[in-house]
Amino acid sequence: MYFELTEEQKLIRDMVRSFAETEVAPSAAERDETEHFDRALMFDRLGELGLTGIVFPEEYGGAGADYISYAIAVEELSRVCGSTGVTLSAHLSLCANPIYIFGTEAQKQKFLTPLAKGEKIGAFGLTEPSAGSDAGGTKTTATRDGNDWILNGSKIFITNGGEAEIYVVLARSDKSAQKHKGISAFIVEKGTPGFSFGKKEKKMGIRSSPTMELVFENCRIPGENLLGKEGEGFKVAMKTLDGGRIGIAAQALGIAQGAFEAALAYTKEREQFNAPIASFQGVSFQLADMATQIEAARLLIYKAAYRASAGLPYSLDSALAKLFASETAMKVTTQAVQLHGGYGYTREFPVERMMRDAKITEIYEGTSEVQRVVIGAALTK
Amino acid sequence: MKILICIKQVPDMESKFKINGEGTWYDQADLAWRMNEYDEYAVEQAVRLKEQVKDADLTVLCIGPDQVTEPIKKALAMGCDRGVHIADPDSSKREPIAIAAMIAGFAKEKNFDIIFTGMQSQDRGSAQVGVMVAEFLGISAVTTIVDFAYDNGAIQVKRELEGGSKALVTGTTPVVLTCQLGLNTPRYPTLPNIMKAKKKELLVLAPDTGGMGARQETAACYFPEKKGGGLVLEGEIPELADKLIQLLKEKTSVLA
Repeated sequence: MYFELTEEQKLIRDMVRSFAETEVAPSAAERDETEHFDRALMFDRLGELGLTGIVFPEEYGGAGADYISYAIAVEELSRVCGSTGVTLSAHLSLCANPIYIFGTEAQKQKFLTPLAKGEKIGAFGLTEPSAGSDAGGTKTTATRDGNDWILNGSKIFITNGGEAEIYVVLARSDKSAQKHKGISAFIVEKGTPGFSFGKKEKKMGIRSSPTMELVFENCRIPGENLLGKEGEGFKVAMKTLDGGRIGIAAQALGIAQGAFEAALAYTKEREQFNAPIASFQGVSFQLADMATQIEAARLLIYKAAYRASAGLPYSLDSALAKLFASETAMKVTTQAVQLHGGYGYTREFPVERMMRDAKITEIYEGTSEVQRVVIGAALTK
Repeated sequence: MKILICIKQVPDMESKFKINGEGTWYDQADLAWRMNEYDEYAVEQAVRLKEQVKDADLTVLCIGPDQVTEPIKKALAMGCDRGVHIADPDSSKREPIAIAAMIAGFAKEKNFDIIFTGMQSQDRGSAQVGVMVAEFLGISAVTTIVDFAYDNGAIQVKRELEGGSKALVTGTTPVVLTCQLGLNTPRYPTLPNIMKAKKKELLVLAPDTGGMGARQETAACYFPEKKGGGLVLEGEIPELADKLIQLLKEKTSVLA
């Protein structure tokens, strides 16, 4: 068992870190303030650097790297900007990846290739007003009409919504089938008649990542856009979320790492009672706990990512990683604000933004409660 | 066209340095490493030249222990075609002329048109290796370049001189060019190119200084003494301003 990154993984980390610090970090606070999604920076540049298709084979416009490299990229982006991190994670894990796993060759050529090359943004439509953690409760319908499908309903809280050109959408295609069995997955392109966008959410954190409602009103899509087999949508969703959890865990890790570094630098510099506050045991013990939890989260993520790359089952591993990393992010960012004192509560320092960004990682792509359900079920089955 | 780029791996300058046990260099344990900044300009310029002339073969060379394959891989990911690692765990103990002799030993009779390297390393900072390679090979050298143009065997470069002035130098290949800050902005190695880099040729050679024995050695390496608390000027504001301007002119390059 090796605990060293490969030369390629180190090069990827150094490259993404340098890009993130030089180009992404300077505008992070302002984009948060203005809720601005800067596509040229937060997506197009990622495409130019080959990050939008990291894990996919070269034949589909990808880079052919492994999931650890992907986790590293999301971590490094999120270390300076949680919004940019989730833009990549939602695009790659939730849209490009299910098309890669379940798509036909024609679907991969048509949809995966432009996604991987960074020419088009991807998004994933699962959540509905009455179907969140309970994906089986999907109410959006897909009705067959000749060779086509007609979609009706709405999806909420969709990351990259409005900006994305390609959406993987879950809809109930068989009303008579049991809850989970009547759902199918579809690929829907922006601009399809009957597909529009509802309200843009005003959020606590990740404010420069757009979150929108998707609305389908008699939206006709061709039969060849069915992703996977009819009735297998729930399986597509679950498999997609397994991969997504690695991305969100890595996002949480990056946010925690960024907040920790800010707190470490601040406490070494901030003097009270004629000494840097980091020299006080009460502070250094907090820093020690933060560093320990971050490193544990990183190892859980790398293990899940390793198993995903090796073709081994990783549902349990990604749930463990996502649960621990997101709760670590919340704890570490809260402590980082505390260690900054009054300054930490202001928008002059990045830890305030990081604490707001961290909270969502405990909620989306499976709440902490759902992760415990997944882990508990795996332990007791 | 054949181009050689000579690079060095140096510690990240934000690392915490400690003096080693012998007191002659820094302790190399627990440091983060990267490609010497000036050598990154050299790699970038070589890759740009290849993009310009199309038909060029870029060899990147680095001397040092096994870990220097990391900057070699980075240079390959930035666009170099092949790597050469002169595997020398003692490279940090060698004086500049021995390093230059190893490079020249590799480069001789290979007819490189241009050899790009950094104007100095960020750690040793001798700024001697590039010019000594040129001397060994019997070709010309232009140092501290901040601008570069090539046209059919002719080069035109700008050199940075003291006090902010520049010199325009023209010449022909073969030539050694040492690169200075401001020459270019090195590109990020893209992910697909990082993945392709591992398939590129990497030749490993034993160190051979061609009998170039030690002529100098570092007697001691130490941190500068901590200075006192700066200079406090006293007096009325107009007088203070005059004193400050005078000091800035005399003691610094902030004001000319």
